[in-house]
Amino acid sequence: MNLICNLFSSVFPSLGGDGSQREREQTIDSSMRFAVLGLIKGSVFWLLVASLLGLIVSIKLHSPSYLSEYGWLSYGKAYPAFWNALVYGWLFNAGLACVAWIIARLGGRPSGNSGLLAISGGAWNIAVIIGLFGIFKGDQNPYRMLEFPSYAAPFLFAAFIGIGIWILLAFKARAYRSSYASQWYALAGVFSFVWIFSIAQAMIFCMPAQGIFQSVVAAWFGGNLLGLVVAPFAFATIYYLIPKALGQHIVGYRQSGIAFWSWIFFSSAAGLASLVNGPFPAWVASVGVVASFGLFLPLSVFTMQFLSSLFASFSKIWDTLSVRYVFYAVFAFIVATALTILGSLRGIQEVTQFSQFNDGVRYLFLVGFAGMAFTGMVYYILPRLLNKELPNPSLADLQFWVQGLGIFLVTVSLVYGGWAHGALLNGSDADTIAILQNTKTYLFLTTIGSVLFAIGNFAYAVSFVWILLSPRTEKEQSADLIEPAPELEYTHS
Amino acid sequence: MNRGPFIFIGVLIIVSLSWAVTLVKPIQEAGNLAPIGKGESRVPTLLAGLALQGREVYQEQGCVNCHTQQTLATVGSDIARGWGDRQSMPLDYVDQSPVFTGYNRVGPDLANVGTRRTDADWHYLHFYNPQITSPGSNMPPYAFLFETRKIIGPASNRALDLPEGYRPEEGYEVVPTPEANALVAYMLGLSQAYDIEEAPTPEKLAYK
Ligand code: HEC
Repeated sequence: MNLICNLFSSVFPSLGGDGSQREREQTIDSSMRFAVLGLIKGSVFWLLVASLLGLIVSIKLHSPSYLSEYGWLSYGKAYPAFWNALVYGWLFNAGLACVAWIIARLGGRPSGNSGLLAISGGAWNIAVIIGLFGIFKGDQNPYRMLEFPSYAAPFLFAAFIGIGIWILLAFKARAYRSSYASQWYALAGVFSFVWIFSIAQAMIFCMPAQGIFQSVVAAWFGGNLLGLVVAPFAFATIYYLIPKALGQHIVGYRQSGIAFWSWIFFSSAAGLASLVNGPFPAWVASVGVVASFGLFLPLSVFTMQFLSSLFASFSKIWDTLSVRYVFYAVFAFIVATALTILGSLRGIQEVTQFSQFNDGVRYLFLVGFAGMAFTGMVYYILPRLLNKELPNPSLADLQFWVQGLGIFLVTVSLVYGGWAHGALLNGSDADTIAILQNTKTYLFLTTIGSVLFAIGNFAYAVSFVWILLSPRTEKEQSADLIEPAPELEYTHS
Repeated sequence: MNRGPFIFIGVLIIVSLSWAVTLVKPIQEAGNLAPIGKGESRVPTLLAGLALQGREVYQEQGCVNCHTQQTLATVGSDIARGWGDRQSMPLDYVDQSPVFTGYNRVGPDLANVGTRRTDADWHYLHFYNPQITSPGSNMPPYAFLFETRKIIGPASNRALDLPEGYRPEEGYEVVPTPEANALVAYMLGLSQAYDIEEAPTPEKLAYK
C-alpha cells in the first residue's frame, strides 16, 4: 500500500508538511516538480539503455558473433544507436532538466507553464524512441549524430522548441534583472541547438548540398552539438554547483564573459578539424584546426576558475556528493579539451585519423564531463525537489567510484588503443586483421570499462527509484531538511 | 550581458558567421561540380540499378560505422596498401546522396573495393560469415541477408559453396536474398579508378 502511495506521490507530489524557511524555493520547486522529475526519469532510463548498448557494441568489436543472429542489433546499427541514446536520450534529458531547474531557481520566481515543459519533455522522449526505432529498422543516415531518420527530426525539433520556450519564459519571469553565467550558458545552448539543427536538416536532407559537402555540414553539426549545446548545459551546472553546493564563490568570476564568448566563437567551427586530408576543401579543415587551437583561450580561463574555486575548498569536496561529480567533470573537461586541441594538429591526425582515438575523446567529453556534471546536479536537485534525504548515501558513493573508474578505463583504452591502432593503420601497410590482433587488448579493456560503467549506472537507477519511492520520515516532514544555499554573486552586483 | 536578447544576438551572429564562412562559402565555390564527359568515359562512372539498391542496403546496415570511402594520397599508407591510386576528390561524389565518406576505419577503406575484390563469390562468403574468407576478422556476419532453405528438387545454382564447418545440415542450402545480391553488386561497382587531373597521387606529390 505504502509503495502505491509513494508511486502516486512521486507522480503527483504534494508539499504538505514541508518546512517553512525555504518557502520561496519550495514554491518554485513545486511549480515544476512533475516536469523536471519527468526529464530526470527519462534521463535515467536512457542512461541504462545507452550503457547496455555501449556494452554490446564494445563486445561485438572483439567477439563479432556475439548476438549476431539479431540483424537489427548488428554492429552497424547498435553503434549509432548507442551514441544517439547517450546524447539525445541521456544527456539531453539530464541537461535540460538541470538547466530548466537552474533557470527557474536563479530567476527567483515560479514561472508557471509547467504543463508545457512536461508535455514537450514527454514529446522529446517519444521522438528519441522513434529515432532509435528508425535506426534499428534500417533507416539510419550515415552522418554522425544525425543518424536518426529524417522522419524523427520534426518531432525532435518541435519537442525541443517547447522545452526551449519554457526555458525562455522562465528566464523572462525572473525577479532579478541581472543574470549569472549559468543563465547565459543555458540560453546559449537552447538557441544554438535550434540553429544548428535547422541548418543541418536543411542542408543535408531538405535541400541536400552536393556530395561531400553533406559530410562537411555533418562535421560542423557534430562539433557544434558537443561544443554549443551539451557543453554549455554542463558549464551552466558547474557554475551553479560550485557556489551552491560547495559554498565557494567562483574565483575570477569576472573572466566569465571572456570564457563564454571565446568558447562559443571557437567551438562553432572546431568540429571541422576532423575533415583534414580527406576529399574536402582543405581550407575548411584548416579553419577547424585553427578554431580548435583557439579553444585554448577559454580552456585556460575555465581551468583557472574551476580549479581555483574547487581547490579553495578542497577539504569539502569529498564530503559533498554533487561537488565530487563536479570535480570529476572539471578534470574530464580539461583533459578532453586538451586532447581535442592536440588531436587537431596535423602531425597527430596523421596517426589518429579514422581510429578510435576520436571516439575516446568524444566519450570523455560527453560522459566524463557533461554526464558527470549532470549526475552531480541531479543529486543536488532530487532532495530539494522531493524534500527527502538520499536514503542510501553509500550506494551513491559506490556509484561515483564505479562510474568514475569505468569512464576512465573506457577513455584510456579508446584513446591509447586508438593511438596504437592508428599508428599501424596510417603508418604501415600491415594487414587489417593483423592490426586488429595487435590491439585486441584495448578492445577487451573497453568492455571491462563498459561493464563497470553499466554497474555504476545501475546503482544510480536504484538510488533514483529508491529516493522516489521511499516514504518521508518524521524528520523529513517536520524539519527544514535543506539548509539554505548561499546566494550567488550576481545578486550583489 | 544581463539580458536574454544580447546573448541571443551574440550567439546568432557567431553561429551564422561560422555557417556562412565554413559552409555557405565553400558550397558556393565548389558545390556545383558537373560530371565530365558522357557514356562510357563519364567521370565519375555511374552505378547501375542493382548496385544502386545495394547502396541502400549499405546505408541500412550502417557499414559506414566501420568503413570509410575516401582514399588519402597526401598522408598515410592508403596507396601503399593498394586501396587506391590517387586522392579521392569532390568530383568522385557528385552523384551520391548521401555520401559514405565515414569516420572510422575498423575495416579497410572501400572507395575502390570493386577494383581490388572482383570475385562475387568471395563477397557472398564474406558477408555470410567473414570468418570463412578472413579468419580473425571482427566484421559481423550478415547471415540474416541469406536464406537457409530445404532443397526441393535440384539444388539452386545460387546456393553458396560453403566450406566444411559452415554448411547447413544435409538437405538444406544457403541462398542469398535480393538484399545480399544488391550489396554484392554495389561492392563490385564501387570504384574511383578513373583519372581526375587535379587529384594528388604519390608521383605528382614527389614532383612538387
Ligand atoms: C565491426 C565493423 C565492421 C562492419 C560493421 C562492417 N565491416 Fe566490413 N570489414 C571489417 C573488417 C575488420 C574487415 C577486414 C577483414 C575482413 O576482410 O573481414 C572488413 C572487410 C570488408 C571488405 C573486404 C575489403 C577488402 O579490401 O578486403 C568488404 C567488401 C566489406 N568489409 C564490406 C562491408 C559491408 C558491405 C558492410 C555492411 C553490410 C560491412 N563491411 C560492415 C569490419 C566491418
